[in-house]
Amino acid sequence: MSRRVVITGAGVVSSLGMGVDEFWSQCLKGNTAVAGVPEGWPHYPQLHSRIWSPLPEIDHELLGVARAERLQLDPVAMLALGAAREAIGRAGFALASAGERSRNFIMSGVDSERVGVFFGTGLGGAITFLQNHTHHLLHEPRANLIAYVKKHDDPAGSEVLQSVIAQMVHGIRFNPFEVSMVMPNAPAAAIGIKYNLTGPNQTCCLACASGTVAVGNAFRAVRDGRVDVAVSGGCEYFADEHGHIFRSFDVSGTLVREFADPQTANRPFDEKRSGFLFSQGGAAALILEDLEHAQRRGATIMAELIGFAETFDAHSMMSLAPGGKQIERMIRSALNDANLSPDDVDYLNAHGTGTKNNDQTEAEVIQRVFGKSVRVNSTKSLLGHTIGASGAIEALVTALTLRDGKTHISRNLENPVLDLNFVRSVEPFEPRVALSQSFAFGGHNAAIVLRKYGPE
Amino acid sequence: MNVSVQQRVLKVIAEILNRKESEIRLDASLRDDLQASSLDQMTIFVALEDEFQRNMPPEEVTGLITVKDIIDFIDRKLQETTST
Repeated sequence: MSRRVVITGAGVVSSLGMGVDEFWSQCLKGNTAVAGVPEGWPHYPQLHSRIWSPLPEIDHELLGVARAERLQLDPVAMLALGAAREAIGRAGFALASAGERSRNFIMSGVDSERVGVFFGTGLGGAITFLQNHTHHLLHEPRANLIAYVKKHDDPAGSEVLQSVIAQMVHGIRFNPFEVSMVMPNAPAAAIGIKYNLTGPNQTCCLACASGTVAVGNAFRAVRDGRVDVAVSGGCEYFADEHGHIFRSFDVSGTLVREFADPQTANRPFDEKRSGFLFSQGGAAALILEDLEHAQRRGATIMAELIGFAETFDAHSMMSLAPGGKQIERMIRSALNDANLSPDDVDYLNAHGTGTKNNDQTEAEVIQRVFGKSVRVNSTKSLLGHTIGASGAIEALVTALTLRDGKTHISRNLENPVLDLNFVRSVEPFEPRVALSQSFAFGGHNAAIVLRKYGPE
Repeated sequence: MNVSVQQRVLKVIAEILNRKESEIRLDASLRDDLQASSLDQMTIFVALEDEFQRNMPPEEVTGLITVKDIIDFIDRKLQETTST
């Protein structure tokens, strides 16, 4: 059984705004959101990178997350719920309450046993883990120190003790919901529970390729007839109160180091690139649907998904294999899956992180496979790197590019690493086929192929 | 009984259990009358910790059965902190 798979809904939460319309409008303007990281973070003076792409303040009402849910979910799952909510709404599924006093819904016009969830994340509920660990370690020593200072009324070394107490910051509790908040499958599970979706519910945990693999696996499930509809996407949230996650990327040497001008510091594919822009997080959701199912509902179709492939470098945990042999094999396999050749591709949404190694290798592969025949941009040049969300956000950009016949610039690109057909200005064109690719720590490579929707 | 504490507790319980405040009697048992599951009860105490900025560890709240028990418990908690 092989069916045509179309995208009928999308949702996004990003540093460039919440909601597809705002997000796409900001992308087409070539805007970016960059700010300094909090100076109060421990080890701030030792950081090599000190900028990030912050999210707007989280509006829980807009995400559709009630107070009780906020207490039981890590922010990463809330972002996923927000993106899924918009996507399901845009896909035109009417929602009925799942019961008196329930905050959950039942999607009408679809057999819920034939709807799956395929969501990606890199670190899942890491923030909750860190918060609880801080409480676990510091709560009692801090209380003992405070009691000691109080009892001895200005003891020797009081100033030092007060300063140590001030550094021992932790949350109010050791959260009883920690396990279900931290587990990486929580975002996918939260979506399945919220909309009573009882088909397969899968979490794809492949670092920066998580979102692309999730969309790809959802595509296969719909194409093969295992489900009629899939809520697919990716999510990430990295704003822990002490900047621990930022530091872990920083110390590994992956983040942007030249940031005297924050607006131009993030420069994928440019000779002067110095690393990637750390993102506070984000999420994107795409509703994939069997074409006939979508037509019966009268759904609006954004684009069609026609191919997917994965390969693995088997080389290094943190570096792409030189030469990009497995990336090239992935591109050719994805196009083969779609019964197409490189000549058919009009637009390529690159992984384009801004690290020395990634952009050099990726550009070489693109030049080898496509020459200058494809337009290329990096969505990370606007958003920074949202890790587990990035593949899903870039799949959304690819679908919007096909739908609208225009795409965003690759920002801050002055001297390209290679002479590719990079997008320098927003101009109308007529893309029929597009490819979006992601590579991940560990060595995972994944690509999806999309086509402008039209009768075959 | 502190009226403001009572109002805030009722608001939190109503919000977590997705009920109207007017449905919640002071002598109602969380489990038997309000059908709060053990997870619901855990969520209520986590929400009350946030609301009153006081620790309410499981060992301290286990014996609280009714809404009034909770209000009295929080009243005591607040007084303890103010008097120390």
